[in-house]
Amino acid sequence: MPTTDDFDITETYLKFLEEDSEMTMPIAAIEALVTLVRVKNPTTAAEVINLIKSGAEVLVKSIPNSVSLRAGCDIFMRFVLRNLHLYGDWESTKQHLIENGQLFVSRAKLSREKIAEIGIDFVSDDDIILVHGYSRAVASLLTHAANRFIRFRCIVTEARPTSQGKQFYEFLQEKGIPVTLIVDSAVGLIIDKVNKVFVGAEGVAESGGIINRVGTYSVSVLAHNAKKPFYVVTESHKFVRMFPLAADDLPMDRKILDFSRIDSEASLLSGPTIDYTAQEYITALITDLGVLTPSAVSEELIKMWYD
Amino acid sequence: MSSQSMPSLVHNNNPHAVTEIEVSIDSFIAKLKRRQISGSYIIALETLQLLKRFISAVRWSNVNELIAQIRELGNRLEKANPTAFGCGNVIKRILAVLRDEIEEDMRESINAGSSTSASAANLNDRNSTIGNATQAEPLIASMFNLLQKPEQNSQDFYESKSKTKTDFRQVVIQAIKDLIDEIKNIDDGIQQIAIDLIHDHEILLTPTPESKTVLKFLIRARERANRTFTVLVTEGFPNNTQNAHDFAKKLAQHDIETIIIPDSAVFALMSRVGKVIIGTKTVFINGGSIVSSAGVSSVCECAREFKTPVFAVAGLYKLSPLYPFNVEKFVEFGGSQHILPRMDPRNRLDTINKITDYVPPENIDIYITNIGGFAPSFIYRIAWDNYKQIDVHLDGKQK
Repeated sequence: MPTTDDFDITETYLKFLEEDSEMTMPIAAIEALVTLVRVKNPTTAAEVINLIKSGAEVLVKSIPNSVSLRAGCDIFMRFVLRNLHLYGDWESTKQHLIENGQLFVSRAKLSREKIAEIGIDFVSDDDIILVHGYSRAVASLLTHAANRFIRFRCIVTEARPTSQGKQFYEFLQEKGIPVTLIVDSAVGLIIDKVNKVFVGAEGVAESGGIINRVGTYSVSVLAHNAKKPFYVVTESHKFVRMFPLAADDLPMDRKILDFSRIDSEASLLSGPTIDYTAQEYITALITDLGVLTPSAVSEELIKMWYD
Repeated sequence: MSSQSMPSLVHNNNPHAVTEIEVSIDSFIAKLKRRQISGSYIIALETLQLLKRFISAVRWSNVNELIAQIRELGNRLEKANPTAFGCGNVIKRILAVLRDEIEEDMRESINAGSSTSASAANLNDRNSTIGNATQAEPLIASMFNLLQKPEQNSQDFYESKSKTKTDFRQVVIQAIKDLIDEIKNIDDGIQQIAIDLIHDHEILLTPTPESKTVLKFLIRARERANRTFTVLVTEGFPNNTQNAHDFAKKLAQHDIETIIIPDSAVFALMSRVGKVIIGTKTVFINGGSIVSSAGVSSVCECAREFKTPVFAVAGLYKLSPLYPFNVEKFVEFGGSQHILPRMDPRNRLDTINKITDYVPPENIDIYITNIGGFAPSFIYRIAWDNYKQIDVHLDGKQK
């Protein structure tokens, strides 16, 4: 149990992620903020707001890829604010938050099961499904479909520079789903053979576009060009209030293109790790709130912030 | 025929009324199965009439039972003709009204009851803040569900309350009456908007001559707004040719310049067309729609190629809360004898005759409904205003 002074929110956040492989970044962020509230134990409403604000700020700044955790911080902040303003019921809300920390995690897992249930109709016999990147939501949907004895095959991209493709390939093989691994540059070659594309998301922007593992944008453009449906499978707590205008309009810790002379081999390929896929390339979002068109995302966000 | 019995009706204390209603249900199902009843307008109205009699006949001890019985009826009708979405749509809408009423009732009883316990007060509080929006609550959940306190199970209320102040039979019958009124007056609503959309000396193209709404819409634009315009009607070979001729004749009688064109000429003429107007059979939640003549999809594809706007007219009752996961499942095929006369079966020749078509949302610019014009991407919103997520699929147990 950390004491008031040596509490490090970033460390707590990373520890949550490490301890539970099923935990997503937004949930870990919420958990970290709950821990913060519990440790600091603020007494007045203003203190609470300031505490969470500064905690979220520290967290966003210290983690390089912060889109997803920002969604978590936002939703938590909004929840606290609403409870403070509307009900003046801070004490019971605090009690609830502190006592039910584990509940959020289990609900987040439940929401993936719900997604699998809702999305099952998207997978049908004889399908060839292209997957880019490792997403727990996609994994849960495909596992669910395989358990229901739907016979489909998967093509998994390598998702360089990470090893996510390899991981996902192994995961699907373990589940007994016929799967093949391709290099990212082969997507154009095989897109005609594919029936549909599934990707996860790190964050879903207000426009309905998604922020995801780099390469998603190119896959979506290829799918759009080949008139193949492109589905995003994601939990609704990843909706984030952002409005990126272009593929590179994302908060990144460094320049996307670095033309300076680099000597070490290792940092040669350390380019951007996420990209933004605009809503016009997305056929539908399969979420725990149902199957949404991209324009429905903004409504969900507006409902949360302005009602 | 429909030998499946309704177990929920067995313990009924008025057997006579029940058998009578069973007979009408069976005969309606038979008509649906034999395609003796067609056209979403007629199907929707007849389903509502049947539902009205069904509600008058059934008995129930709690609201949950009533809902289960309506769902069961809906499921049987949907199964009888899976592409007649009208049945399911109207029943789901009635269910939504009923559920709203129950929620209202539940809130009142919580208000009246012991609101001393903190949790009940809080739940109540939360409910009343979203109270006004409840009937428009689009989905069973919101993003906040993640953080919400564990909710009181409303199911308890559904089941435990045997006596309520509200007379749910009356509620349902009133809802049915309202919906029948709405469906009967749908053309007026659509026409009001439509007139502003047709300009003088414009060339319009319609590939759905069987649509009464399109017909009335054009005639009204001519008569009320006194516009002069030309209408191109596709021939719709082979299923719709007669309809196309009748349609053209009626338009001509109203002094509208009408030209029947072969289906193959659409692309050639599209560059001169100002607007494409289509009637729809069903509109899905993604904004795509099923239309009741083959070839409409290719007309819309042509229109997109030429950037010609496509207007789809649809009454609200045609909106379905379903998502077209598998379009092939929804598109109907008819007898091939209309295309080629029957031949010696030894000749290996496949002939297919699609009688409906699916138009994807990206090929439709706007939906004109009786409550206004909407972009296809907004259709989901209208649907969730009128349906409840829980009633989307009537088969299987409700959770």
